Amino acid sequence: MHIGSIQLIEFRNYRTLSYTPSPRLNLLTGPNAQGKTNLLEALAFLLVGRSFRTSRLGDLARWGESSAAVSGELRRQDTSRTIRRTVRMLEDSRWQAAGESCPWARVIVFGWQDLSILTGMPAARRAFIDGVAGRIYPSHLPALGRYRQVLARRNLLLRTRPGEAALAPWDEQLAAVGTELIDRRRRATAMLQTELARIYPAVSGERHKTEIRYRTELGEATEPAALLAAIARVRRDEIRRGQSLVGPHRDDLVLELDGIDARVFGSRGQQRLLALSLRLAEVLPVREAAGTTPVLLLDDALSELDGTVRGHVLREIQTAEQVFLTAPEPLRVEGAARWDLRAGGLCAA
Amino acid sequence: MAYYPEPVARLIDALQRLPGIGPKTAQRLTFFLLKRPFDEVRELSEALVAVKERIVQCRTCFNVTDEDPCRICADPVRDTGLLCIVEEPNDMLAMERTGEFRGRYHVLGGALSPLDGIGPDDLKVRELLARLDAGRTREVILATNPNVEGEATALYLAKLLRPLGVRITRIARGLPVGGDLEYADQVTLSKALEGRREIG
Repeated sequence: MHIGSIQLIEFRNYRTLSYTPSPRLNLLTGPNAQGKTNLLEALAFLLVGRSFRTSRLGDLARWGESSAAVSGELRRQDTSRTIRRTVRMLEDSRWQAAGESCPWARVIVFGWQDLSILTGMPAARRAFIDGVAGRIYPSHLPALGRYRQVLARRNLLLRTRPGEAALAPWDEQLAAVGTELIDRRRRATAMLQTELARIYPAVSGERHKTEIRYRTELGEATEPAALLAAIARVRRDEIRRGQSLVGPHRDDLVLELDGIDARVFGSRGQQRLLALSLRLAEVLPVREAAGTTPVLLLDDALSELDGTVRGHVLREIQTAEQVFLTAPEPLRVEGAARWDLRAGGLCAA
Repeated sequence: MAYYPEPVARLIDALQRLPGIGPKTAQRLTFFLLKRPFDEVRELSEALVAVKERIVQCRTCFNVTDEDPCRICADPVRDTGLLCIVEEPNDMLAMERTGEFRGRYHVLGGALSPLDGIGPDDLKVRELLARLDAGRTREVILATNPNVEGEATALYLAKLLRPLGVRITRIARGLPVGGDLEYADQVTLSKALEGRREIG
């Protein structure tokens, strides 16, 4: 799929902007603080109605404005869909988002914050794998929402030192939804593993063995009964600490480069390249599941990489469909559309 | 804060305590009532008092009623072997509107909810067990809501009632009639798929 056109009104630093991007590679260049990331954010908001930077809707409107709008045309093969999304401030100064959504729209975003997949807490890796699984399996995120509801209630109940009978219905729900989540995360991880093994050597230009594994208390088990049994084993600890101690909310991803934990391995450049490769590894699985290639939004993806590696990355990303790549300095890439951004305006470079 | 005469402020304040009514709606309702004829407003106030004075809980099913036992519990035509468990009287009314169910009800008065500190002892569970003890029930239908609280309540009751040897069923989750597959949300659709039935 690709974005045929986009219009921004009072979005971040843009008063109004009308942009008709190339259906292939778009290079967005310009000095810092001119609105490159803001434009990527608008593109993501158009596609999926969510920002990758903030959960506060009010941040999306231009400073001092009480509403913002993004509209545009999404195209897939021979279908096209016009979408308009808005955020506005209500009387009680809460913000509300509105607008239709497009069920086949998919977007993959890479930004500096993705380094936390490698260096951050397990929560960052769980958020990463849930994002991937959500783009592959549309029922993953609703199940995650339900899991969080069950978990919050179960944790509260644990603090009241409940009996076996009172906990049982919550154990059962935690195990049922939890196993569903673990199963999809595992399958998503396996798909990433296949792609990562191809992409990382291709972009680094070196023969490295990469490995990504899903780590859970359950080992290889796939039945809710296994999670129920694990819950039963930690029953006393759970009641003492007033917290659910097993389940997908405690799991993690293990990332290895040549057999060594990638969190401690390699230079910052290598880590950035691995984080980028993880995002690129998602393109094919999402394309196969959603029936359309996701739009790639790559924020400053080439920084900290040397010339050769940059060449490899540029070649790899052009195998996707529509790509938006930002960079502070002008880039020359054959066949790419170049755009120069300055002070909330945009022109073909 | 604007100045209101005391009786006006008092009514606005009282209306605001109703669910779904904020300060603006409360104000609008108050001024609407001020403009209505005296008889109409008296009728409303009498209706409010009457509902508290005359409505009681049925001692058998805990439905709201103006006579105890309620009409459903007293109806000799209804099947005493079939018992439908619901959370609130509203849910029972929804079931009744189908006109399909000819058994009896048991209103729990809520669902298990750790967030609100509601456990089994706060629901009409003991009363349910006492009813089943009388021994005429063949099947218990668990018709609590499909949210996490309702599901927990159904799971809890299922486990509790299993030793009694009655048939225990849970209402199905699935697609709304007249709906379009394309517009069904993913979760509903996958539940509908799970609960599929053989046809023909």
